[in-house]
Amino acid sequence: MATLGVVPSTPVTGGGEATPRPAGKHDVNRKRLARLGWSFSTPAFVVIAAFTIFPIGFSVAMSLSHVNVSGSGFSLNGFTGRNYSTLVHAPQWRYALGFTVVYTIVTVLVEVILGTCIALVLERLTKGRGLMMALLLVPWSMITVISAELWSYIYDASYGVLDQIFHAVGLGQPIFLGTPTPAIVAMMVADIWKTTPFVAIIVLAGLVMLPEELYEASEMDGASGWTTFWRVTFPLLRPTIALAVLFRVLQAFGLFDLPFVLTQGGPGYSTTSLAVLGYQVMFQDLNFGPGAAVATSTAVLVLIGCLLFLKVFKAQVGEEGS
Amino acid sequence: MKDSKVNNDKKQLADDSGATRRVAGKRSRLVASTAALSALGLVAAYGSAAASNHATRHAASVTTITWSASPISTSGPDLRKVLIANFEKAYPNIKVQLISAPTNTDTNESQLETQISGGSSSPDVFMGDVIWPAVFGAHGLAVPLSTKFPKSFFSRFAPGLVAGATYQGKVYAAPFFEDQGFLYYRKDLLKKMNLPVPKTWEELKAESLQLQRAKLVKYGFVWEGADYEGATCDFMEYLTDAGGKVLSSNGKSSALNTPAAVKALTFMRSLVTSGVTPAAITTYQEPQAMNTFDNGQAAFLRNWDYAYSASQSSGSKVIGDVGVAPLPTFQGQSYPGYSNIGGWNLYINPHTRYMSQDLTFINYMTGAAAEHVMATQFSEIPTNESVRVQKSVIAVNPVLATVPHTRLVARPSQTPEYPKVSQAIYQNVNEALAGSESPAKAIANASAGINTALSGGGL
Repeated sequence: MATLGVVPSTPVTGGGEATPRPAGKHDVNRKRLARLGWSFSTPAFVVIAAFTIFPIGFSVAMSLSHVNVSGSGFSLNGFTGRNYSTLVHAPQWRYALGFTVVYTIVTVLVEVILGTCIALVLERLTKGRGLMMALLLVPWSMITVISAELWSYIYDASYGVLDQIFHAVGLGQPIFLGTPTPAIVAMMVADIWKTTPFVAIIVLAGLVMLPEELYEASEMDGASGWTTFWRVTFPLLRPTIALAVLFRVLQAFGLFDLPFVLTQGGPGYSTTSLAVLGYQVMFQDLNFGPGAAVATSTAVLVLIGCLLFLKVFKAQVGEEGS
Repeated sequence: MKDSKVNNDKKQLADDSGATRRVAGKRSRLVASTAALSALGLVAAYGSAAASNHATRHAASVTTITWSASPISTSGPDLRKVLIANFEKAYPNIKVQLISAPTNTDTNESQLETQISGGSSSPDVFMGDVIWPAVFGAHGLAVPLSTKFPKSFFSRFAPGLVAGATYQGKVYAAPFFEDQGFLYYRKDLLKKMNLPVPKTWEELKAESLQLQRAKLVKYGFVWEGADYEGATCDFMEYLTDAGGKVLSSNGKSSALNTPAAVKALTFMRSLVTSGVTPAAITTYQEPQAMNTFDNGQAAFLRNWDYAYSASQSSGSKVIGDVGVAPLPTFQGQSYPGYSNIGGWNLYINPHTRYMSQDLTFINYMTGAAAEHVMATQFSEIPTNESVRVQKSVIAVNPVLATVPHTRLVARPSQTPEYPKVSQAIYQNVNEALAGSESPAKAIANASAGINTALSGGGL
């Protein structure tokens, strides 16, 4: 059985043999398998390299170069750090960064709270849970461009549904997408509507897996529902919630489609997220160097954010063993 | 035919890789070799496709070119398709495939820029905004037409239009149809209250309030104030009327931060605060403004040439009640006010494989026959001088009759930094209209933004 410990990745050779084989023969087997493994993964690797790794690398290189755009494509003309210094000094970038961070924190927080509540209700449902879950998934399954288009009809300042409702109940006629704060709130609502179900489904999956005995024990000890939630459910759910948060933060930080359809980053530049800014700088102004710097810095920031989060999370739930 | 040949080549390649596969016995190499072969296959297929294209081009009797154009007519038959049908009838050897482009000019532009700088040979010809020649010329994203057409070709256009399509001595586009701002008004409402067609902005505001107070109409005046190029167009008109301008005479710095510009923007904002213009103007592009007017909810509309035919087609509630006039100006200035020049040109993609067909197409589209159809059936302003001056054409619609009486102003688009210059203008104008920035502060910010853009710095 010692071989199992040495080569855990090849249980076929290790577990299949009753007696330990000489090391030399074993190495040959390993090499053969490794080669097979490499050759099987090569096509996938080639595809990933062509469509993911190369563009990412190219984008990083671009962000560190003087870039020229012409009819025959881009040319990178020498190293420069100017793109990043332009970025740091540009008020638009600082605003977009602040906006994206605030937007991410607010939407993810609300989504996690709402999603957890919905999951708790769903778990207790004895009838119609399947139907409710199916209904819940409708917003999530809709393509963002389409749901954003629907929200733009709701928010429209001349013939929008919401506008008429506000008018009917005497709240005036707010211009949801034409004034900065309402536009930001309106966009957050559309985002929360769409992605809360995603959080709910993940949390529900976590809830279903929790051991029944703990609940029986806490009931015997006479704990109230509230105490049970904070002392039993929540601590055990933390890994699941962390997973949902991680997914959501990654997505929310790349916010693009909602503002692109709803406001084009306006009014002014109040809903210009980092991704929208990157698009504008790159493809509207043909300013590829700074545009690539926006994209690269965004990716690095979100990466750092997620790593920090994971570290904190691991330290916190370490003893419960995720 | 071209396609089938390419397919055959691909099939041949697939067979080849199959044969190699059978020969290559060792299992471990199987996947790697297939991957390598398919990669090689792609390259080979591309090469042979290019070769077969070459071969078929000479043999084929019919060539298909692609034309990217955003919708021109907003009601009735599609102008683009009508013109294509006419062209194909005149040149049966060339087929034109229409690629419908986005209506938002900024989205349309970035899509084309990405596509062409990425090396795409499609579209062969594209309809682009009049403000694009500098950007596309500076980056080599359009063919300089002055190197392809004889000089005589350009004499067909109305004066000033070719200059607008020129960047650093080369003409990058053929003017297709022209456009400019007009004032549309409700004849019936003005008659009811016995009001004249306004000649100053102040008069327009006062008449609007009068009509609104009499409960004849919900809003006075609608225009374009959203966070996009259109807001720059509208602002240019007030700015020039007030005596301001965007760039200094050498074009190297901003000349925007003046009392005239503040006056212009303050007036625009006052239209919103007085209720003459709905607060939703900060989200209005051309379609929203037109809808509000055509629904009978506004007395005045600032829009382009095509708004007239849209207001007179089925679905509109103001058929027969719409008059058109040059735009007003500020009190104390001579009438009429300035109209911003808009319109669209035809450009050629530098990667096109069908240059001679593209040139034939552009020659036709800017020729008398096509321009006549555009002017008489779709009320577009023709760029072709011979069509423009025909009495029968002018008689067809009141918009064309108004054209000779207007005064024009162009956007400062002779710099390749124009997109950023315009962005600095419309973002700040939009903020001021929303009330989140005072007009004076917005002008100062816009001016600073323009200077940053012109110096090549900033984002």
